[in-house]
Amino acid sequence: MTDPRHLREPAGTTGPSRTGAVRIAGLSKRYAMSGKSMTVLDDINLSIRPGEFVSIVGPSGCGKSTLLRLIVGLDTDYDGEIRLDDTRVAGTGLERGLVFQDHRLFPWMTVAQNVEVALLNQKLPKERRERLIAEHLALVGLSDFGEAYPHQLSGGMAQRAAIARALVNEPRVLALDEPLGALDALTRVKVQAELQRIWMEAGTTMIMVTHDVDEALFLGDRVVVMSPRPGRIARVVDVDLPHPRDRASPLLHRLKDEILGELTREPREEDGTLVSFPARSSHSRSPS
Amino acid sequence: MSLRLRSVSLALLFPALVLGWWEWESRQGAGHAYAFAPLEQVARSFVEMLLDGRLLLHAGASLQRALTALLIGGSIGIATGIAMGLWRPFDRTAGPIVTTMRQVPILGWLPLVALWFGNGDGAKLLLVSLSAFYPTVLNTQKGMQAVEGKLAEVGRLYGFTRLQSLRLIAWPSALPLIFTGISQALAFAWIATIGVELLFSATAGLGTEMMAAQVAARTDVVLVCVACVGVMGFALNQLFALLRARLLRWQPAPGN
Repeated sequence: MTDPRHLREPAGTTGPSRTGAVRIAGLSKRYAMSGKSMTVLDDINLSIRPGEFVSIVGPSGCGKSTLLRLIVGLDTDYDGEIRLDDTRVAGTGLERGLVFQDHRLFPWMTVAQNVEVALLNQKLPKERRERLIAEHLALVGLSDFGEAYPHQLSGGMAQRAAIARALVNEPRVLALDEPLGALDALTRVKVQAELQRIWMEAGTTMIMVTHDVDEALFLGDRVVVMSPRPGRIARVVDVDLPHPRDRASPLLHRLKDEILGELTREPREEDGTLVSFPARSSHSRSPS
Repeated sequence: MSLRLRSVSLALLFPALVLGWWEWESRQGAGHAYAFAPLEQVARSFVEMLLDGRLLLHAGASLQRALTALLIGGSIGIATGIAMGLWRPFDRTAGPIVTTMRQVPILGWLPLVALWFGNGDGAKLLLVSLSAFYPTVLNTQKGMQAVEGKLAEVGRLYGFTRLQSLRLIAWPSALPLIFTGISQALAFAWIATIGVELLFSATAGLGTEMMAAQVAARTDVVLVCVACVGVMGFALNQLFALLRARLLRWQPAPGN
């Protein structure tokens, strides 16, 4: 394995030396379910620039969580290619991080210990290790909660701690699987702003799956819209607005209407290839 | 009346009623006075046994026996439970044996143990250790298998080795159940200690003293011993609960 520790330029700079480029080509994923083969992801092609924030939205069953699991290497059984900076993904690695929807902190460790455990297999001098932990707790605004146990934290704080744990290895790419999905609406808006700030400071490539179109647009440089059964990329929407963003921007509202239109569109008859599943027929609504 | 005061007075109400009834029974003639030793006499015996050091000697001997057996039976139980939890073939082999042996009450082993090992301290320790072994082995085994797949995935993300996953994920997640096993083992070991002391003569121990007092027709002394066994068992249980709360302080409070 190559050394996952890399020198990172300050956020915002771009150049050929920056790392964190993800290239997904011809990616397909099949599951065997009760003897039958089911295609979860079908011919996914996507190139992500170093330091880019890509949001992925789509209905349940479009394979968006599966896509993240493949990128971080929790699932290694796929056809096609996933490359991070020209290295093919095979298994998990410290250069690729993941934040789950449930924080998944170890309940028997304090917040600081939970962050430290991510560095377990990095050979680092003690001072550097401690500085990294302190820096990342500060990055997510939990400097005063290093000694707290997860059950003492609110949902938003626990999720921020999980983000600190995922970033402490300074991964080149961070996957976020509905990281704010379990939070209440108000906390969610706050943590979205936090996440934007963290991304801008850390400069890490981020790929976030979400159900929330507002969230996808607020954070993403691009929004990938997926369609289900089999999971495909239906559209990629460029969000041409500088960060930090204003939620009230008319562009965001126009794009939201477009994406929602895409997500609620009925399968077109002339597509032909779209075979509707008998068990899931939605013929009660009139075809558009 | 404050809530605490109320709950304390409720807890004392029943014992007070029993003591009143007891005292009444002891005044119903000589036969009754033998079976229900008057409270005053029990109290006098208690003070006497406390002052001449007898109570301390016997209570200390029983406590030492119970705790030694807990250490032996408990550690073997935890080690076996870990092996069963981690290694399927061993679980399949040892599991049914443990479950079958558990059906036999500890005192059911008495004739065989007496035959094989005599009735010395070793035989007593063996029986009490066995009583501490069952709850620890079963709870540890269950605990080791209860590791959440979701947390195991976190270990995979950060490249944990098998040993690291064991130490940092499987072991701590099994700890609450292991503690449950130890607290059950503590209660069983205490009961079994008094049981074997009653049935096997020993140089010292609350059970032995009880037996001797019964032979000497000293119901008052029997009562002092019974009360001592009860209070000490209760205290052990409370102390262990405190220790558990301290060591497992990462757990959310129950009902939270």
